[in-house]
Amino acid sequence: MSRRAQHIQQRLQQQVQTSISCREGHDSIILEGLVDNWAQVVRAGKLAAHEGYKGVVNRLAVDGLTLPPPRSPKFGDATLDGLHVDVLIVGGGVTGCALARELTRKSISVVLVEKEDDLATHASSRNNGMIHPGIEPHPGSSKAYFNVRGNAMYDTVAAELDVPFTRCGSLILYQERWERFLGPLFMARARQNGVPGVHLISRNDALALEPHLTQEFSAALHMPSTGIISPYLLTVAYAENAVRNGARVSLETMVVDMKVREGRITAVRTNRGTLYPRVVVNAAGLYADTVADMAGDQFFTIHPRKGEIIILDRKKGHLISHVVAKPRLLQVKSDTKGGGINRTIDGNILVGPNAVEQPFREDYSTDRDHIELMLRRYLPLVPELSPADLITYFAGTRPATYEEDFIVERSQYVRNLVHAAGIQSPGLASAPAIAEEVARLTVSALEEVTTVADNPTFDGHRRGIPEPERMLWEDRDALIHRRPDYGVIVCRCEGISKGQVMDALGSPIPVTSVDAVKRRVRVGMGRCQGGFCTPQVLRIIGEKNGEQLAAITKKGGDSFILAAETKSVRRAS
Amino acid sequence: MMVRNVDIAVLGAGPAGMAAALAAAQGGAITVLIERENHLGGILKQCVHDGFGLLRFGEKLSGPEYAGRFVHMVREAGLPVLTSTFVAEAHRNSEENILMLVDRSGVTELHAKVVVLATGCRERSARQVMIQGTRPAGVMTAGAAQYYVNVLGYLPTTRCVILGSGDIGLIMARRLTLEGAEVLGVFEAKSTPSGLSRNIAQCLDDFGIPLHLSRTVTRIFGDDHVEAVETAAVDEKMRPVVGTEERLCCDGVILSVGLIPENEVGEALGVPMDPVTKGPVMDQNGETQVPGVFVCGNAGHVNDLVDYVTESGERAGAAAAAFVAGRHKGRLLPVMVDSTVLLYAVPQFVDMDSPESHAVVYFRSREELGTTLVQVAARGEMVARHRYQHLRPPEMERLEIDLSLIPADATSLDIGTESIVAAEVKS
Repeated sequence: MSRRAQHIQQRLQQQVQTSISCREGHDSIILEGLVDNWAQVVRAGKLAAHEGYKGVVNRLAVDGLTLPPPRSPKFGDATLDGLHVDVLIVGGGVTGCALARELTRKSISVVLVEKEDDLATHASSRNNGMIHPGIEPHPGSSKAYFNVRGNAMYDTVAAELDVPFTRCGSLILYQERWERFLGPLFMARARQNGVPGVHLISRNDALALEPHLTQEFSAALHMPSTGIISPYLLTVAYAENAVRNGARVSLETMVVDMKVREGRITAVRTNRGTLYPRVVVNAAGLYADTVADMAGDQFFTIHPRKGEIIILDRKKGHLISHVVAKPRLLQVKSDTKGGGINRTIDGNILVGPNAVEQPFREDYSTDRDHIELMLRRYLPLVPELSPADLITYFAGTRPATYEEDFIVERSQYVRNLVHAAGIQSPGLASAPAIAEEVARLTVSALEEVTTVADNPTFDGHRRGIPEPERMLWEDRDALIHRRPDYGVIVCRCEGISKGQVMDALGSPIPVTSVDAVKRRVRVGMGRCQGGFCTPQVLRIIGEKNGEQLAAITKKGGDSFILAAETKSVRRAS
Repeated sequence: MMVRNVDIAVLGAGPAGMAAALAAAQGGAITVLIERENHLGGILKQCVHDGFGLLRFGEKLSGPEYAGRFVHMVREAGLPVLTSTFVAEAHRNSEENILMLVDRSGVTELHAKVVVLATGCRERSARQVMIQGTRPAGVMTAGAAQYYVNVLGYLPTTRCVILGSGDIGLIMARRLTLEGAEVLGVFEAKSTPSGLSRNIAQCLDDFGIPLHLSRTVTRIFGDDHVEAVETAAVDEKMRPVVGTEERLCCDGVILSVGLIPENEVGEALGVPMDPVTKGPVMDQNGETQVPGVFVCGNAGHVNDLVDYVTESGERAGAAAAAFVAGRHKGRLLPVMVDSTVLLYAVPQFVDMDSPESHAVVYFRSREELGTTLVQVAARGEMVARHRYQHLRPPEMERLEIDLSLIPADATSLDIGTESIVAAEVKS
């Protein structure tokens, strides 16, 4: 063991627990042993980070704690069995889907596999939709590079993919006197990272931008390049455009094993058969370390960091337009952005997120204390907001590595593996730039074994599902004349029509669950939270897909909405 | 895009809206009844239990039967009805209301001298009562469960808990039991039930379903589908008490935790709302503080009997027709309640020059009270009084005031109470 590893081991034994041992492997530091609680696991991982290794592989176990296996499809078939493809992308989040579309610029075969019944079901949908300006990441980090670059690409990407996007700008309010000293620090950071247009502005200027804000602040930092988008709509749009250009998306498909021979992945086993890809891209989000391990190239560990977000009624959406945040003392070197309030592209106000380390990667439960704390902390930013405006809340987990930076690189040990891992916040803002770079790396790996030509028929434009509720009256009238279903409203809170639900069901990547429809056209996202429209959506899904109502799920798996026909129950009893 | 003009647009064809439209048409106004669903009757379609119409018709009807009588009258009267029609936007200019209607034929711009809001209410959802944990399938409002069972013919659960002892929750406890599901219990965070006494007796007691007062559902477990819930006792501030948690295995959580009047159209028209009732501030004829906008039924405040909903619709419809004919409201007296005893009273104002000789006031008590005398005073003079055997928050009470008894120089109507026999303390 090197002196460096010995040194780290000593420190962990002193500061965390004596049972911890360290060793080196794949240029990373590997932690092993048994500790008492999860906080110790995270603490040890953090202490071992930034010590000159490529990453921290944290194999510490907690006494008495068994982590559940990943949520996985409950069936198997041979749909993909024997398939030879140029590129296999593991993971249907925003990174994987943006990459899939980017790769279809080339004449190659691309298959994207996603274990859930829809795209963007984990970190890519469980965030606030913010396109960060790029001021938080440490200068010189991958995060800083991809964030600023990705942010600048959004106008083009959103226009090409027909996804609503706006550069709403953001404000950080300085409430305490001393916080003003953070201003110059942020300005310097903005210059280093290349964030455009950042200004320190007076309270009056900030109030001119946001008249409903609290008066309780002294100055603000204004970042005009901050944007807002629907993260799931964007992910779906990327995937749909990829499919249109020849990629294949296979949902409910989980990678369970890989065969590696002489430094190359030769076969990838899934629940739907074994594929033979030339290059594999690891965009597996919360399980990117597991996938890396399958290929024998784990040099990092994901530690899930939960964030909870509160959604307020769209009625109050007019009160702000910018993303408004409070500075956090640690924000300058923090692992994640500080919370605040922002308006979604659909006009709801979001409150949060917070950041809580937890052992469970897919545990999206919320906690009353956290929700109440965020309401107390952030609602006063806009005095006209009240807890009565709350319609729901949700949680997501950030796939953080201990180095807290993105991993965007070709594997050093497996020649046909590319990693796009540790893509936590600001991963959404960075996605277009990450996809560009990963595509470049993928093509370079592919060119080692075959020739790669441009795709002459590539068309990067996609048409989204019409949104009659946002149209001018004349246009809406004309649209309904062409297709009367756009005039049949099923979701009263959001004003969504049957036509839009039908479009979602018939979209290029077929979906069947209620939540998948909701992510595409917002039915059930309003103040009644699906109380009135869910039965209507069930009926439409049943009608369109020729399915029994009892077979329809909320979100795939066993999430059936109805238990049985009443008649059959009566007969049975 | 079509443009249409009417005297009166009634929004919502539930019991309130049908009654209002009938009364408005009878008053001679050109009236149209607008409904977003594809049938008339509103929520009554799924209320297959009986108990509707005792006051109105002197008999026990089911919801669909009660609605059916009014649907029949609407058809007989030849009232113009627009079903599957959605009000996508509403605003006012100086003299009328402009509604943008969307239906299968396109967009219609409807100009209405008067709008009658009969938009009903919606149910509060799980997160609005701070339930934590996961968001799996199997969590639904009682109204949604009722729709699944009574309209679609499906059971949404085989073994469930019900949170909240509101009437729909109690009705669904019985309904699900009759359909073969197991209802483990009804949990109510308050120390007294929220539903009518008759529903506690007929829906829970008769079926041996336990009612747990001062206890709530705090957490939901399960990834795809509900697998269990955590319940806990609550303190006086309704906060869960640590150490009282219990875990119950079930596949469904049904919520009956309160109704919220739906007033998005009213808000768009600039109608001021009462923070307590969550409905518009109104007079005894349902006229809001915006001239030419009336309200009736559950959009005004949540009622527990459909008979009162119909009554309020008739009054608002007749007054809306009078408004079209040129009548404007007279002097308004504010109705003040002793808010230590009463939760609220509606209307919030009484129009002293209303053509009707009596004004009807509805109110609810804040807590359970024994025999109580409720009195209305104006300038120190008693203008109405009534003795109630019991006052319970779930049971709305009705009181008539003879306007001719109110002194001309009165500045308010004050509703107070006098306890005659204290409420029995339940063991």
